[in-house]
Amino acid sequence: MTDSPARVWRRFRGCLRHSGPIRSTAMYALSVLLLLGLWWGASAVVKELKGGREFLPNPVRAIAEMVRLAGFWFPNFVVSAWRLVLAILIAFVLGYPLGLLIGRERRLDELISPMIYILYPIPQVAFILLLFLIFGIGNPVKVAIVALALFFQILISARGAAKNIEETHVTSVLSAGASRWQVYRHVILPATLPSILTSLRVSIGLGMAFLYIAETFGTFDPRHGGLGAFIRANSYSAVQAFAGILAMALLGLILYVAIDLIERVVCRWKFTVRRSS
Amino acid sequence: MIEVDGLVVEYGRGARATRAVDGISLNIDKGESLALIGPSGCGKTTFLFAMAGLYHATEGAIRIQDEPLRGTRREIALILQDAGLLPWKTVWQNANLSLKLRREYPAKTADEVLEELGLSGAKSLYPAELSEGMKRRVGVARALATSPSVMLMDEPLASLDTLTKERIQDLFLKLWTTHRFSLVLVTHDIEEAAFLGQRVVVLTERPARIKTIVPNPEVGDLDFRESGAFLDAVSRLREALEEVS
Repeated sequence: MTDSPARVWRRFRGCLRHSGPIRSTAMYALSVLLLLGLWWGASAVVKELKGGREFLPNPVRAIAEMVRLAGFWFPNFVVSAWRLVLAILIAFVLGYPLGLLIGRERRLDELISPMIYILYPIPQVAFILLLFLIFGIGNPVKVAIVALALFFQILISARGAAKNIEETHVTSVLSAGASRWQVYRHVILPATLPSILTSLRVSIGLGMAFLYIAETFGTFDPRHGGLGAFIRANSYSAVQAFAGILAMALLGLILYVAIDLIERVVCRWKFTVRRSS
Repeated sequence: MIEVDGLVVEYGRGARATRAVDGISLNIDKGESLALIGPSGCGKTTFLFAMAGLYHATEGAIRIQDEPLRGTRREIALILQDAGLLPWKTVWQNANLSLKLRREYPAKTADEVLEELGLSGAKSLYPAELSEGMKRRVGVARALATSPSVMLMDEPLASLDTLTKERIQDLFLKLWTTHRFSLVLVTHDIEEAAFLGQRVVVLTERPARIKTIVPNPEVGDLDFRESGAFLDAVSRLREALEEVS
């Protein structure tokens, strides 16, 4: 016997009264339902305005198409995922330490910051042609385009976070006998991690936008072109293109959740609550 | 034990140089407790940090056990205003920090010190999970872990409520009588200076110079706070501070 909608709603409200994972899962589900509802409404409005033509498919049609085309978009999903993850790693490995150094070492800051102020405002899209000329049209250029865009994002966040460290923490370890390297290891790195993880979250959206642009260039490989190429190749059919767009959303969601999990592990101290004396 | 000879500390260089400490000379005996008191921003902390080896003397010198002080030393421990705990390290990791940084493991380990301070049950907690009083005790544990012969404290009980403050002052006194380190306490609290300092050095407005030194030899008893001698010391210190403020 199935539950009545009123009973399901009562149970759901009961979940919202809990704290911890039950509540957060319930809120997540509510948020997704709300998004699907808005999507459905927007789809209906667009259909009405366009005389019944389906430029924006409704979520049920799009999800059904996504399931039907899983064999086509999934290999592209894997390709896009590794390109994006590799680009994030490259940007992180280069941008984070350099950002920390220029945030903490005054002379290096004076030398490098003017370069950043000149280079960062230039839209990185402007470098795409140059990168294609350097790297060709294969995988390296797609990774390089995304890594370049994210590098500045991470570099600037790391520099800002390193500048804003509470000096008491630095004094504390210096008075305990820390060397310069130990100050980085015990204070600068852990103190800046939360800001950098926030910056990585922002980078996912930016990275996906650049990945899409990079993947729509060049010849289409139906299995290894990436989601950008998949969407471009299916642009004649809105519902099929939406299967690719949903796959991109899924990739973003997986990366966001991964960063949340990493934060839970590496910034465990942030999730503690004060107890009484 | 500690000899401060004509110490001058300046920030900045050339025309922009700002003098924070101006020609302080002072001797602190082994096992003595000394309180430094003066108007806000007068240079007390700068003087203390110079004794910790964190600031270099522009002129003059500091000698610890007849050796010139150049940089931080294992036998000098510093307790900061908010205990200086690192939020990302547990209580045990914070207490063990000085030992880890110096890669030295003397007889007194972090475990022993935490037990002595009644913090054994809190080893795996993070500072955010602790009350203010517990945080200060962890700061003390970290300082004690290296068995220092000089304990420097920079307003260690600022922003605590009165009862917690008095409990921790009692703890400082007990530790000082047990461990017999030389104690230098910077404070803006007259009663704290009178309760913990065998001598109270009153400093002038910036740049800090010694205005007067008030002897307070009866320090050392937990009941001292209730005595007439304590009230007398408080009154003398108030007068001295009013003269410099």
